[in-house]
Parts: sequence; structure tokens; C-alpha cells
Amino acid sequence: MAGVTLQGVTKRFGTVTALDHIDIQLRSGELLALLGPSGCGKTTLLRSVAGLEHPDSGAILIGDRDMSAVPTRERPIGMVFQNYALFPNLTIRQNIAFPLEVRKRPASAIRSRVAEMLELCRLETQADRYPNQVSGGQAQRCALGRALAPSPDVLLLDEPLSALDALVRVRLRDEIRRVQQLVKTTALYVTHDQSEAMAIADRVAVMNHGRVEQLASPAELYEEPDTPFAATFVGARNALELPVVSGRVRLGAAFDVSAPGPAQTRALAFFRPEDVVVEDAATAGQPATIDLKVFLGSTTRLHLRTVLDTGSYLYQADVPSRLAQRFEQGDIVSVVVDPAHVRTFPTMIEEET
Amino acid sequence: MTAPAVVTAPSVATSRPAPRRSVASWLLFGAIAVYLLLPMLAVMLYAFATVWQARILPDGYTFDHFATVFTEPRIVAAIARSLVLSFVVTLLDIVIVLPAAYWSRVRNKRIRPLIEVGAAIPFVLPFLVIAFGIDRLVGMVTPSFQNTIWILILGQAAVAFPFLYWSVDGAMSAAGIERLSEAAETCGARPRQIVWRIVIPSIRVGIVTGSILVFATTFGEFSLAQVLVGAGFETLPLWQADALLQTTGRFNDLAATTILSFGLLVVLAAVLVWWGRGQTAQAVPGGGVRVGGR
Repeated sequence: MAGVTLQGVTKRFGTVTALDHIDIQLRSGELLALLGPSGCGKTTLLRSVAGLEHPDSGAILIGDRDMSAVPTRERPIGMVFQNYALFPNLTIRQNIAFPLEVRKRPASAIRSRVAEMLELCRLETQADRYPNQVSGGQAQRCALGRALAPSPDVLLLDEPLSALDALVRVRLRDEIRRVQQLVKTTALYVTHDQSEAMAIADRVAVMNHGRVEQLASPAELYEEPDTPFAATFVGARNALELPVVSGRVRLGAAFDVSAPGPAQTRALAFFRPEDVVVEDAATAGQPATIDLKVFLGSTTRLHLRTVLDTGSYLYQADVPSRLAQRFEQGDIVSVVVDPAHVRTFPTMIEEET
Repeated sequence: MTAPAVVTAPSVATSRPAPRRSVASWLLFGAIAVYLLLPMLAVMLYAFATVWQARILPDGYTFDHFATVFTEPRIVAAIARSLVLSFVVTLLDIVIVLPAAYWSRVRNKRIRPLIEVGAAIPFVLPFLVIAFGIDRLVGMVTPSFQNTIWILILGQAAVAFPFLYWSVDGAMSAAGIERLSEAAETCGARPRQIVWRIVIPSIRVGIVTGSILVFATTFGEFSLAQVLVGAGFETLPLWQADALLQTTGRFNDLAATTILSFGLLVVLAAVLVWWGRGQTAQAVPGGGVRVGGR
């Protein structure tokens, strides 16, 4: 087992900087998710570790071995691609055997390793089918088996679930996690889906514009995002731009917190829908109108509107559905948010004052 | 019975019971079949006819014309030359086009426009123009190569390669060859292993289809053969042209050679398609478990 060290990895495509001095240290056996919108550089970073892209500067180490002069085929990696990339002319069994055969392992070792992988990925009954004869989930499990067959130090996964149906996606996500923990391989997992990253990863690196905005455990990221981008990208959050009055940021009587820094006239306030407490209008709090009521199962999402003299503010609240029964669209309710659950940041565009 | 529901467009609203083909579509199908098959049928009858002048059908039938074709040394030699030429040209195109197409997709996408323009030229310029162009160029640069079979082989390979290129390129695109190559690389495969174990097997159908087209084009090609070498290397089309111009008019023998070359191509195509169907034929969704390939 080995960790992965990325030191100042930089890659430019023409004038676009895809990777901007990336420093990440993957611990041995850890699953780290690279999370970000398309074009943030996460796939380029993954492909650089695979040797399919070559960074302009910086170093990539697997264990303590510098990879810059090592071609892809000699790197101790296994990779799972977005659209499976199974070899169509080979059966599931032959696909899994392929990385062992090209490495000239003895036939008996190949046979037993392939059998092991088929069992690990639950593909015994599909072993002699061709890739176009199995389902998407089975195909991706085969790709996982093929990637892990030569016991690589590092497993690279490039949006492995995005071509699958929602139901299969969740099941396979847990499956990948189970297998990764079983074989204890270090893994780098690229995704644009924050719930996927949260569910599967030991740590998440939130990427934007070729930089790592925050690298933290899922819980930490969820509770204490470092930047406005991380805050908006992780979890459905309300983001309101509010005026700063004598060092305080207020949404009427709903919350009152201190401003993020001095000399600001406005600030961004983030808070989660589930942290908004909605009561009958009679109670203390900030009055708000219910614009829309959306039933989501165990919770109901209320789209709320609060009008203050500084402007009209739209945000959402998630309320247990049993409590939401007594509210109707158009009702006026009273809203409170615990200040501990409100995070404020300077506005993204600094204003001249 | 076929399953017409699969064929019809996804019309949700209409629910016609047991849709059947209309009379008009059968008529159209019949007309096209007659249009395509009648000339072939006429040539075939002519190849077997003793005398076919006064009546609607020939007066009698005979194998004599085929016997002539197979016994006259000049015709046999012409057929042999055409076969060898077509075979060599097809091989040459495979050797040149496959690496180029692969390279243009996986390594250097910038050479694609160049190949594509080159692959369009034979469709735009008449072969006759190309033939005179090649002849003049060779005459200026390397006169010793003029009127040799080598020039003919290179020329034929140059005009026939687009058929192979387009079908191979299409097959590569359909197989997603770039991604497959990368996947094989991450599996630890060397370039040679990638090409022989992954690339060629996954585009086999494209190679087979393109090769048949190259072979057929070369086998029936007249202009280049006439201009570049002429009587020095008489191919079947050259002999046919000669037979047509002779005052005695060997029309029955002509018909027999036409049927022969057509039959040869049909058999060749059938063999290659059967051989090349490979895993494509096994692409039965939900099909039974088959025990591994080769």
C-alpha cells in the first residue's frame, strides 16, 4: 500500500489553467474524492496521476517514487472510466484477466486471481458474457474488477457512476466503497455529485478553477465550509447577500450574527434549509410568506419570502412533513435560524467603500 | 412473423391492430428490385445463351462461353492479374490506412484534416484525371517507374484507400477506440498489445467491410490500369474493353467474365463477412451465456 503525493501540480491548456499548483497528500488506504463542477480540473488531475496527461510542472509521487518519467503502463495504478471502457471483444472474465495477461503473470495465478475478482465484484454468473450482454452496473463492476486485478497501489475512478440509473448508482456507490475498504487500496474518486462524494469518501477536496478550495472530511465540509464556493457546492444551502450594519449581519428577526470582516458594507450569509425553524405567525421571529410548498417525503420544502426595507429575500426551509401539514401556500409564518448555523463570508465581489 | 411494432415509429397515440405493409410499399419494393436485378439477370442469361437475337428469351443454353473463358490463356491471365493486383492493393491499403487512422485518433488529431482531404480526392476527381496526373508526375520525377506494375499498385492503392479509411474510422469511432486504448494502457499493455489484442479485434467489421470495397474497386477499375500500364499488364477490365471493341464482338464471353467477377466478389464478401462477424453476431441482448472466444 502506498499514499499519493501531489506537489504543486500545474497544467495549462493554451491560456486556460486547468490545474493551478495542486498540493494534496493522499494517505495510504484512504478514499479521497475530487469534487467540483465540470471544467474545474478534477478529471485532468486524475488523468495526470494515471499518466494520461502530463503536468507542466510539479511532482506526482506514488509511495515515495516520482512518477514524472514513468509511462502509464508501468504505473502501479488501476483505473475505472466513466463509460466503462470494457474491451468489447473480450468476455467479462477475459477483461478482468487482461491486465494480468499483458503483465505475463503465470496462467495458474491469473486463473485464481480472476476467480477472486469475479467473486469480489459478484460477477460469477456473468463471467462468460460479453460487455454488451450485461447491464451498466455489471459492466462497471467488471471495470472495477479489471482495475483491481493486478493489486494496484492506487485506484483511480473517473465519475464511475454518472452513466448509471439513479437506483443502480447508489447501490454501486456502496459496492465500490465496500470493495475499496476490503482490498485497502488508496483511491482517488472524481465526481461532480456532492452527495456521492460525501457518502463514499474519507476526505473530500472541493475544486474550482483548477484550485483546491477546501480539503476536509465530509462532516467538516458540511458543517464548516471554508469558502462561499464550498458552501454553495456542498449541500443545498440558502445564500443571501445582506447589508452589514455596525458589524452585524441580520435577516430581520430571524438571525443576527457578527460580520465576517471589517470595512464591509455587505456580506454573504449561508444557512441550510433544515436549520430554518418555522413556527406559527403568532410566535416571535421574522414573518415570512410561503410561496411554494414541495412535498419531498419525510420532509417538506417551503419556499419562503421575507420582505425587509433593505430588499426582498428568498430562501428555503425543510420542515418535517408532519409539521408542515398545518401550513398552506400563501400563509404567513414566523422564521428563526440558530446563529450557530449561519456562516458569513465577505461578498465575492469586493465593493469600493 | 416479424415484430412490426419494433419497426414502426414510436407512435403512442395511434393503436392500429396488426399493421401490415401497404400495397404501395410492396409495389415500390418490386420496382426497385426489378430495376436492380433485371440487368444482372439479362447479363446472366446472355452468359449462358447460344443465340439470343430474335426472341424474348435465348434460343438455347450452354456452358460453352464459360469453357472459353477458362481455357483461353489470355483471359485466364487477365483474371489472375486482376486478382493479384486487387489482393496486393488491399493489403497495402490495410498496412498504410490502419496505423494512420489509429494515429490520427489516439496520438495526433491534427493530422485528421489532412487525411480527410486526401480521402475525399478520389470522390471528387475522376479516376481518369488522377491517372493522367500520376502518369505525368512519374514521367517528370522517376521516368523509369513509368508503365510498371508498381505505379499501378501505388495508384490503385491511392484511389481506393478512402473506402477503407472511412469504414475503419467509423468503426473506431463506434468502438470508442481512444478510451479503449487508454484503458488498455492503464491495464499495463504495451502499444503492440493494445493494437493486436484490443484495437484490431474491436474494429474487425470495419476492416472487413473496407477491404471488400477496396478489393472490388481495384478489381473493376479501368482508367488507371489503361493509362498507367495499358497492354503491358492486361487486367480483366482491360481485356473486357478490348473484347468489346473487336469487330467480331465477343459479347457472350464478356457476359461470362462479368458474371464470373461478380460471383467472385459475392463469394469473397460472403466469406469475409462470415469471418468478420465475430463478436458482433454474439451481441444478442440478454442472449445465453457463451463460452469464451478464441
